[in-house]
Amino acid sequence: MEKRFELTASSEVLSPFRKELRQILNRAGWEKKTTEEILLAVDEALTNIIRHAYQGRPGKMMVSVLASDDRIEIVLEDQGKKFDPTQVPSPELPRHRPGGLGIHFIRTIMDQMIYDDQNLTGNRLHLIKHKAKI
Amino acid sequence: MKIQLTNQGDIHVLDLFGELDYHSSPELREKLTELTMKQTPKILVNLGGVDYMDSSGIATFVEAFQKAKRYQGRLILAALTATVRGVFEIAKLDSIFEITPTVAEAAKCLSAKT
Repeated sequence: MEKRFELTASSEVLSPFRKELRQILNRAGWEKKTTEEILLAVDEALTNIIRHAYQGRPGKMMVSVLASDDRIEIVLEDQGKKFDPTQVPSPELPRHRPGGLGIHFIRTIMDQMIYDDQNLTGNRLHLIKHKAKI
Repeated sequence: MKIQLTNQGDIHVLDLFGELDYHSSPELREKLTELTMKQTPKILVNLGGVDYMDSSGIATFVEAFQKAKRYQGRLILAALTATVRGVFEIAKLDSIFEITPTVAEAAKCLSAKT
């Protein structure tokens, strides 16, 4: 199953998009706890696009969701300023100051976070999670 | 996100409902800043109605917690749903904040110590 979304780079789109993604994950048979974690990871990646790539300016965010029996891959693309979250160092935990946790959440939750540095304009980030084998 | 502010004696209670994310956290930040600016000594945040929270929500609580600490105020988070507790655990902040399973227990904690 593959589904593609075009979102406006604005915080208002986050909640409705989570609803859509939750439905896809439910249909793909992900358990509730992991579903909520994946939603959090994708939400943090989208928030980073709004904050760091577009820096509050208008723009588009393209999200492709590829769901198969044993894994999910979410590809996030934008045309904003270059921002590679894989280069951000891991924070020392617990953090006693606000902020700096979003990328830690993505790293902790997803199996892979791949930044496509061959992408000439904007950013392309792949988030991959495999289903735990029972 | 819906925010209700009530008083239980000298405890200021914030009841939160809905989702706490990058879109809704500024509203909560504003309410908590109002309380910490007034050096409100006892703040109880009821998260029982919050079914989603991201790092913006966490950052809002970290900021308020640090501000309250500066004037020896207390901020207790109560009734976290499993999803929200999971977010605190990933951030390893569950041992930093005062967290109670219910609102009644949080109120008891705040009444017991001054």
